[in-house]
Amino acid sequence: MIKAIVDNIKGLYSLLVGLFITGRYGLGPFPAWLKLQKPENGYPQLTTHYPWQTIEPENLVNFRGPLELVPAEDDPAQSRCVSCLMCVKGCPSGCLTVVKGDQGKAPKVWLSDFSLCSLCGACVEVCPAGALRYSHDLYWVEEKRENLVNDLLAKLAAPRKASL
Amino acid sequence: MDINLWSVIKLLVALGAIIALLIANSVVMVWLERKVAGFVQRRPGPYAVGPQGMLQTIADTVKLLSKQIVIPGSSDRFLFLLGPVLCMFPMFIMFLAIPYGPWLTGLEINLGLLLILAFSGLESLAVLVGGWGSNNKYSLIGAARTVSQSVAYEIPLLLAILALAFMTGTLNLTVITEAQTGWFWHWNIFRQPLAFLIFIITCFGETNRAPFDLPEGESELTGGYHTEYSGMGFALFFMAEYTSMMLVSFLAAVLFLGGSSGPIGNGVWWTFLKMGAFMTFMMWVRWTFPRVRFDQLLNINWKWLMPLGLLNLWLTAMAIKVF
Amino acid sequence: MTSLFVNPFHFSTISENPADMLGDFYSNNFEKKRVDPDSMILNLGPQHPSTHGVLRVLAELHGEYVLRAEPVLGYVHRMHDYMGQVKTAAQFLPNTGRVDYLHPVAWNWAYVGAMERLAGLEVPERAEYLRVICCEFNRIASHVMWWGAFVLDLGGVTPILYAFEEREKINDLLQIVTGSRLTLNSMRFGGMGGDVDDRFLRLAREFIPWMRERLKMYDQLVTGNVIFRRRLSGVGPMDEDLCRRYGATGPVLRGAGVAYDTRRAEPYSVYSHFDFDIPVAETNDCLGRYLVRLREIEESLKILEQALAQLPGGPIKHPKAPKATWKAPAGEAYFAVEGARGKIGVQVVSEGGKSPYRVKLRSPGFSNLSLFAEAAEGTLLADALAILGSLDLVIPEIDR
Repeated sequence: MIKAIVDNIKGLYSLLVGLFITGRYGLGPFPAWLKLQKPENGYPQLTTHYPWQTIEPENLVNFRGPLELVPAEDDPAQSRCVSCLMCVKGCPSGCLTVVKGDQGKAPKVWLSDFSLCSLCGACVEVCPAGALRYSHDLYWVEEKRENLVNDLLAKLAAPRKASL
Repeated sequence: MDINLWSVIKLLVALGAIIALLIANSVVMVWLERKVAGFVQRRPGPYAVGPQGMLQTIADTVKLLSKQIVIPGSSDRFLFLLGPVLCMFPMFIMFLAIPYGPWLTGLEINLGLLLILAFSGLESLAVLVGGWGSNNKYSLIGAARTVSQSVAYEIPLLLAILALAFMTGTLNLTVITEAQTGWFWHWNIFRQPLAFLIFIITCFGETNRAPFDLPEGESELTGGYHTEYSGMGFALFFMAEYTSMMLVSFLAAVLFLGGSSGPIGNGVWWTFLKMGAFMTFMMWVRWTFPRVRFDQLLNINWKWLMPLGLLNLWLTAMAIKVF
Repeated sequence: MTSLFVNPFHFSTISENPADMLGDFYSNNFEKKRVDPDSMILNLGPQHPSTHGVLRVLAELHGEYVLRAEPVLGYVHRMHDYMGQVKTAAQFLPNTGRVDYLHPVAWNWAYVGAMERLAGLEVPERAEYLRVICCEFNRIASHVMWWGAFVLDLGGVTPILYAFEEREKINDLLQIVTGSRLTLNSMRFGGMGGDVDDRFLRLAREFIPWMRERLKMYDQLVTGNVIFRRRLSGVGPMDEDLCRRYGATGPVLRGAGVAYDTRRAEPYSVYSHFDFDIPVAETNDCLGRYLVRLREIEESLKILEQALAQLPGGPIKHPKAPKATWKAPAGEAYFAVEGARGKIGVQVVSEGGKSPYRVKLRSPGFSNLSLFAEAAEGTLLADALAILGSLDLVIPEIDR
C-alpha cells in the first residue's frame, strides 16, 4: 500500500518531467527572455519552412537530383555524349532514350523519363565519356506525368531556372 | 424564480451570447491547439492563412460546411443525425449557469453546479447515440468506452466539487466565486489542493482528452465514435470537444482559481484569462503523454480518485466541524 | 421507428453459402473458425493508423479482448525476389534499398555481400569501414524512427517529431555518401560507390556525443514516463521458445533474453575489430524489447566512435571490381547481415547467365510478424497494438 502510494507520487513526478521537456521545446519560437533558458540551449524550429525557406547549397553536395548532361569543355551548349548507348543498356528501369545524330557522335535525341527513373546511378557509372551527372534540382514539380520526360539536350542549351 | 418578460429577454440574450462565445471559442482554441502542438513539436503550426495562420480555422470551417455529409447505408439514419445535434445542445444550458464576472451570469440560480453536472451527463449519451447509430465497429467500441468512462469519472468530479460546496454551504456558483474574492491565497486551489488534483484528472476523463482520449483513441480505433462522420457532423463533435474543454476550464477558474478576482482590476477578463490558461495546460498535456489503457483508466478512477475524493470530503467535513 | 430496435451487435452472419458472405477470402475463412459465437470480428487495416503501412490484421474480439488475431499480408508485394532473377546483378542492386525503407543499407549489404561471396570478390578495408559506418548510422536512424512510431502507437504524438531531428541529421550525413535520403544505394560489388569527406567526418564526430545527450532526453520524456511504463510492463511476453518456433531474430529475440546477433554469431566484414556488447532484456515483455532497442543505439554509437577513429585510408573500390554489365559466375552463396529488425539473409544462385538464376531474400520482419497471432491471443486490443508496435514492422520488407 505504502509502496503503491510512493510509486504513484514518483509517477506524477515523471509526468511533470515530461511536461517540462515538451514545454521547453514549446517555448522555442518565443523571444529569449521568455524561454527561461540559456541561449546556447535554445530550441529553434527545426523544419525547413519550404516556400519561404530553401535548403542551403552545402546540404546538397552529392545530392542526386534528376539527370543532366555534362557540357563539353569547348562548348557549354554541347554535351560530352558520344552516343555509345551504354547507359540505355545499363538502366534497370528503361527510362532513357538516346538517338544517335546524323553526323558525328553527338546525339540527336536525349530523353530521360523522370517518372520511371529511380536515381540508381547505373547510367552515370557506366558512361565512358563522363557525360552524365546528377543535378541538384530539388524543386522540380510537374502536374502531368508526360511532362516528367526530361529533354536533356534542350536543358543543356537553355537551363531551367530553379523554380520556387 | 418568477417568470416575467424581463427574465425571458435576459435568457434569450444570454443564449445568443453563449452561442457566439462557443463558436468564437472553437475558432480561437482550435487555432491555439494547433499552434501549441506545432510549437511543442518544433513546427511552426498553421502559418499560411492569415497572420500566423489565425484564419486557418475559419478556412477549415468553410471546408467542413461545404462537405457532403456521408451517411453510411447500413447506419441508423435517425440516430446518426441525432448524435451531433444532441452533443452540442446541452452545452448551451450548461454555460448559462457560469458566473463570468461579478454581475455577468446567464441564469442566476441556486443550483448552478447541479445543473452543470446534470447536463454534462447528456454528452456521453450523444456520443453513444452517434457511435451506435454509425453501425461501425470502431464507433461502437468508442461509444461504449465513452459511456463507462464518463460514468466513472463523474463520481470523483462530484466528490471534489462537493468538498467546495461543504465549505461554502451552497451550490450557487456565484456565491462560491465570491467566497474566493481577494488575493490568491483565498482561492480554493490553496484551500483544497487535493480536490483540485482530483478535479484536474477528472477533467481530462470527462472531456475525453489525452491521456484519457480512449473513445477516439486514434491509434486503436482510427476515429472512435466519429469514424463515420464527415462534414458538419464531424465539425459538431469536434466543436463539442472544445466546448466541453471550455466548460471544465471555466469551472476550474470559477471553483478553484478565484473566478473574476485577480491581482489588479477584478473583472470578467480574469475569468477568461484563467480559462485560457487552463485550456492551454490541457493542450500541453495532450501533446506530451501517451494514452492510458482502458483498465488502467478505470483503475485510476475507482482505486485512487474515489478513495482520495472521499478522504478529502471527510477531511473537509471534519475541518468545518472543528473550526 | 423500427430502425431504433436494430440489434447493433448483429454485424455479420455466418453462412455456408459463399454468395451470402460479405468480405473476402481471408475474412470469410477467419469467420468460419470463430471460437465464440458472440464475438465481434474487427478488421484492422490495411488502412489503419497503427499498422504502419498496409498490414491488415483480422481480430476476433470479445469486448475489448482479442480472442484470435491473424495478420493478412501481400498489400505491397512488389516481387523483389523475382526482379532479382530478371535483371542483371548491378541492375537489381538499387531494388534492395527499396525492400526496407528504414534500413536500406543493411539490405544493400546483404545482396552485395552475397554476390561478393559468390564471385570471391575482395573489398578494400576502407570500404568495409565505410559500410560499417553507413550501416550503423542507418540502424540508429531506424531505431529512432521506431521509437517515435512506437510511442505514436501508444497515443503519444510528439516523440516521433523529436525523433525526426536525429533522423534528419543522419540523413544529411548519409546523403553525403549515398546522394539520397531514403532508398540509399551506395554499395557496389567490390567496394563503395561514394566516399566520405572531411565534412562528413566532422559532422559524424559531432553527432555521437550529441546523440548520447538526446538519449537522456528519451529516458526522461518516454522511458521514465509512468503511463508509458505501465502500458508496457508485462504486456506481450515472448519467451525464447516462441521466438525459436517462429524464427524471430533481432531485437525481438534479444528482448526474449537470447544474446543472438549476426554480427557476433556469423561475423562478417570488420565487426570483429570493434568492441561492443549485445544488449539483452531482463524482462521479455514490450518494455524489454523497447529497452533493448534503446541500448542498441548506444552500442551502435560505440561502434561508430571506434570505426571513425580507426578509419583507414586507401581506395574505396577494389581495382578489379566488376563493371555494371557484370555477370555473376555460376555458383551459390548466402550472406546474412544484422539489420535493425533482425537477421537479413540473401541467397543467390547463379548459372553464369545474364541474371542470377534465383534470388531469395529473407526478411526478418516476416518471421517477427508471424508470432503476433500467438502473442496477441487473450490480450486487450490496446495491448495487441502495443505488441504489434514492439515488433518494429516495416510492411514493404515483410511483403517484399
